[in-house]
Amino acid sequence: MLTFSRNKLVSIYRKDDRILLVRGILEDDIYGMEMDISISMPDLEIVSIQGKWTRMENSECPRAVPFLQEAVGFRLLEDGFRQRVKKIVGRKSCRHFANILLECCDAAEDAAEVIRAEGEKEGKGTFTLQNSLEEEKEAVIATGPDKDDLDRSMAKPVKGGSAEGLVIDLHVHTSEASPCSSAPLGDLVTKARRIGLDGICLTDHNHVWDPRTLAELRERHDFLILGGNEIATDQGDMLVFGFDEDINEIMRLDKLKKKVVKTGGFIIAAHPFRGFLTFGIGQLGLTPEKAMERPLFKHVDAVEVLNSKVSDKENRFSSQVAEGLDLPGTGGSDAHEVEEVGVYATRFSGVITNEEELVEALKGGNYSPLAFRAEIGAKE
Amino acid sequence: MTDILCFSRNNATTVEQPDEQTMVSSCCLQDTLTDLRLVIHVKTPHLEITNIAGEIRRSSEPEDLRIHETLRKVIGVRVGPGIKKIITGLMGTSAIEKKLVFMIGECCNGIILSFTKQVLLSAPEDKEKERDYFANMVKNSPRLYNSCAALSPESPLMDGIEPP
Ligand SMILES: [Zn+2]
Ligand SMILES: [Zn+2]
Repeated sequence: MLTFSRNKLVSIYRKDDRILLVRGILEDDIYGMEMDISISMPDLEIVSIQGKWTRMENSECPRAVPFLQEAVGFRLLEDGFRQRVKKIVGRKSCRHFANILLECCDAAEDAAEVIRAEGEKEGKGTFTLQNSLEEEKEAVIATGPDKDDLDRSMAKPVKGGSAEGLVIDLHVHTSEASPCSSAPLGDLVTKARRIGLDGICLTDHNHVWDPRTLAELRERHDFLILGGNEIATDQGDMLVFGFDEDINEIMRLDKLKKKVVKTGGFIIAAHPFRGFLTFGIGQLGLTPEKAMERPLFKHVDAVEVLNSKVSDKENRFSSQVAEGLDLPGTGGSDAHEVEEVGVYATRFSGVITNEEELVEALKGGNYSPLAFRAEIGAKE
Repeated sequence: MTDILCFSRNNATTVEQPDEQTMVSSCCLQDTLTDLRLVIHVKTPHLEITNIAGEIRRSSEPEDLRIHETLRKVIGVRVGPGIKKIITGLMGTSAIEKKLVFMIGECCNGIILSFTKQVLLSAPEDKEKERDYFANMVKNSPRLYNSCAALSPESPLMDGIEPP
């Protein structure tokens, strides 16, 4: 029996030499929507867009329509076009409008190619498409922190309950090295210090922080700033410590594990059940016992059981799985915005002043995850 | 001058559940230039891809296509957030690979939607009950807060909900 179907239709008309009219229709078991877009040639810029619902999910869905205008001016061949549509149209308007918009734009690129080829056949001089099929550069442009960030926030650290151990947010993204983060390093440090964290660990996506830069940052900020790396694998995201190789591909987790073992590093499975217990997927009947069988757990040294980007339910589930497997649990905010730092953290007993000591401590197993913000909130 | 149809595309995705543990999702992408078919098998409850097959019936790209081998690279990957990035990394970014990645993405999206469908279609129509229903959904899945216009802080559905 069919449990779901979605059909998308795109028709593209040539209004004149300079304008393509694109009409898209999406119909599925939940949604129905239509969209009319005009796209200029040869630069393939969205010059106008209209959308309407024919069937929607809830009574507030019409709010999505005006936000489609955000896409006007977007150029199809520009770097990061798809990401921008997903981020701006997808989140401000509706992800299903973003879906049909991308389908329309993808077809428009092909249509422009057809027109170009036909023009060539007819011997007309026509525009050339800048290699429209070039992959968007997802490469992380790592620029290192700029001077201003380093100069900001030089105040003395507020010590965060050293008597009870060292509290470190093990999962933080900076805007300097993660395109998805809007949190400059300097601001993160200021915030972390203010709320009483003892340290933060930079785990930018597939990014290696130079150990010398990190040492310099610690000195400048007079704050414990450590380096890690959130590496994307076939089995999901992994927080990796004590491993300096720059990985620019999706690596198989078993392969990554072999490499990390060689350098004496440490792997934590980041948010292993993100999105898995939300919505109707929760009805899948995934039990902690079944979840323990996932191959990924054979290759990790610990499990992130507190992460602020997943639901409480998913965090609790990770905790149960870690416990069942006898793997240690860690906490980290996964902050992509300054405000998020320290929501969750890990409390270590003992002293950590650099990456080597962090790895030692992680291997030692003397630590526990904590809801840091909630805890300090309760104290105040 | 009447507008001339110069390109058309039909992209259809379906999801079936032949038995308790298996979901089969297929995508058929046909347009002026291409005719591609793709089908994935996914096992519950982990939703890992256990099998995949594809067929290029027509394509504008010059093909030396070992799509079978390319496709097999995604076996074992779990359907869920972030899968697009994973399969792009595993399969590659040539024109045809990008199309195939896109189609796998459509299949996965269909699988997720076949679950969310049940939740969304059972939302009550009564205004107040509807608000409670969505407020509760966002409480259970905080990532949904401000994830679209209907669930934005300005929307009445989110009245009284604290940002997570
Ligand atoms: Zn990120
Ligand atoms: Zn992260």
